[in-house]
Amino acid sequence: MKRERVLVAMSGGVDSSVAAAILREQGYDVVGVAMRLAPDAAGGGPRRRGTCCSHDDFEDARRVAERMHFPFYVIDLRADFAARVIDNFVGEYLAGRTPNPCVMCNREIKFDRLWDRARALEAGLVATGHYARIERAADGRFCLLRAADANKDQSYFLFTLGQAELARTLFPLGNMTKTEVRARARALGLTNADKPESQEICFVPDRDYARTVQSIADRGRIVPGRVVDGDGRVLGEHEGIHRFTVGQRRGLGIATGEPLYVRAISAATGDVTVGRREELMARGLTATRVSMVDPQLCGRDATPIEVKIRYRHPALPATLTMLAGARAEVRFTSAGGGPSVTPGQACVFYQRDEVLGGGFIERAIES
Amino acid sequence: MRIYLDHNAGAPLRAEAREAIELFMREEHGNPASVHHAGQRARRVLEESRAAIASLIGAQARQVVFTSGGTESNNLAIFGTLGRIEGRRRIVTSAIEHSSVLEPLNELERRGWEIVRVAPDRDGRIAPSAVIDALDDRAALITLGLVNAEVGTIQDLAPLAGPIAQAGALFHIDAAQASGRIPVNAASLGCDLMTLSGHKLGAPAGIGALYVRDSSIIGPQILGGPQENGLRAGTPNLLGAIGFGAAARAIAADCGDEAARVASLADRLLARLRASIPGLRLNGSPPFRNTLNLTFPRVLGESMLIALDLEGVEVSMGSACAAGSVEPSHVLLAMGRNPAEARSSLRISLGWSNDAAQIDSAAETIARVWRRVVEAEPVGALNQSAAEALS
Repeated sequence: MKRERVLVAMSGGVDSSVAAAILREQGYDVVGVAMRLAPDAAGGGPRRRGTCCSHDDFEDARRVAERMHFPFYVIDLRADFAARVIDNFVGEYLAGRTPNPCVMCNREIKFDRLWDRARALEAGLVATGHYARIERAADGRFCLLRAADANKDQSYFLFTLGQAELARTLFPLGNMTKTEVRARARALGLTNADKPESQEICFVPDRDYARTVQSIADRGRIVPGRVVDGDGRVLGEHEGIHRFTVGQRRGLGIATGEPLYVRAISAATGDVTVGRREELMARGLTATRVSMVDPQLCGRDATPIEVKIRYRHPALPATLTMLAGARAEVRFTSAGGGPSVTPGQACVFYQRDEVLGGGFIERAIES
Repeated sequence: MRIYLDHNAGAPLRAEAREAIELFMREEHGNPASVHHAGQRARRVLEESRAAIASLIGAQARQVVFTSGGTESNNLAIFGTLGRIEGRRRIVTSAIEHSSVLEPLNELERRGWEIVRVAPDRDGRIAPSAVIDALDDRAALITLGLVNAEVGTIQDLAPLAGPIAQAGALFHIDAAQASGRIPVNAASLGCDLMTLSGHKLGAPAGIGALYVRDSSIIGPQILGGPQENGLRAGTPNLLGAIGFGAAARAIAADCGDEAARVASLADRLLARLRASIPGLRLNGSPPFRNTLNLTFPRVLGESMLIALDLEGVEVSMGSACAAGSVEPSHVLLAMGRNPAEARSSLRISLGWSNDAAQIDSAAETIARVWRRVVEAEPVGALNQSAAEALS
């Protein structure tokens, strides 16, 4: 019997390694690939252990493939990553928004570009080490669900997956805890069982977003301007709006008696508006580029949901109303509203454990 | 059934080599430098191998120095002759050499040597006149490959020996891809030094040789013993040398029949691929070949390489970078191909282990895989321009 071939995206970390090993044990025809994504100057250079594309990481992935007896290849998707993820990242910052490149990488590379490669290699499935679950409902539709390990749940980064993508995707770790994954790696004799997690964005060295944007963008695209308060009083000047994100407190370059936070960023005027903590609270938000996991299930107006507006924020009760042009309006239903609604970040719609869909935050609704 | 079409990376071990090594391992032992009987027997088989290799290239046995392979031989030729000719600090090479020539020369350039890198034409040929133009009383060493590893081009090097000798410089030929594939005669090529590689012709990896016309022109790079006529300290790789000698004898016995057979298989493969893949282009045009370097329309070579491997056909592309991904061939870039073309190219290299049935099967698989990859992952305009921007 011909075994089903699955292309497993491997970073060299313990999660994707165990994902590949589990599929191999289950009898799949596993083909492991490590993707070169970051330009050499950033993450791909030698001796940068801990980011997701260093040579050491590829070697860790290769050792797993050797141990588990499946073929492994390093593939070069740097050009696609630059065109489809990094350009977007830079453009968003220059437009005064705060992008989430991991969401874009999932949408554009891991579950789109990599699928083309999978078909070229005659693989009918793609798998990753993401912590999320895919289940098939009785009516045949595919559901995207939070991971069993609530602390590791990565469903937030995967909201762009639709029915077509879910049908060809496997998340072998969805029902495991991180502790179980590490234990499994040790039991399998994988050398990276206790490897620390990568926390950086692979093409942003030292988490210095501003320097990354400046190193890629033309000088003329940088938007310097003023730091103002809610009444329009000028508190200072700044070297570029890409240095700011909504909710940011440190590094504003102004001295005042009380703590001030970034409330709004205007690419048109260059103004960065700051305010007190309570002024960050919003009643809701509008989202663009909204996609639903199952388009048939989206309510027309005021569907009760929970919404996550940042990966590490708890989900907030809200209502969802779809608008024309792949836009949506989300209104928080809890008394205090929601803090730090940050344009550019992903907002993901949940009902209990299920991801309904999501979009990218356009702006906060203040009242 | 896997089909191995990557002989330029390393040929499968020849049966003659395996049997000779097995025989020695079973019945003999010893260090060829030892005084006792075991040492004397080991020395005898080592010297028989040396003689067989010398005979393959028309040399004397004492002119053959065993090394760990082509890379060490190239390093020995370059660094071992360095500064031997007073006051001369120019080395002439080409842009399409193996990295074991190019990297040492890059290092010497950083140390202040003048490196002249002659460009090839679009077919990968080095014009002898371009080399001769770089010869004067500053030239110390001329180092050129006889058969290019990536496109198979055979260089016309014989006309260079006279002018190089006249200029008082030394002439090194990297024949790692040539010996055992085409007739190679060190004396008639007129070189001072010649690199040979064991595993390119069916010996094990880890053994090579440097032909040294006159040992007074060169000094050792590895010190610590009198072995190899004082030019390479350390107990030689005896099993490797035995395999190398046995492979050399097998090649010499077959008088070029094998080379002709391999070339006709390559022609057969090219004809079949041309018939089934419109727009396929051959890079380089050697008169007599085992190597097909092909640019496939509208696909990434990387995808073809992996897809073919999963179907059991083993080929190669460019060179592996430190990260393990494949990089566009520097040879194709030097030959004027753009980065997108280089990224769409594969090297298919045939050798002694191939037969007609394998070639017919490979031709069918390659065409089928190309159709699938074009359909699933066509190289679009965006992709090409992005790839060029990166390069």
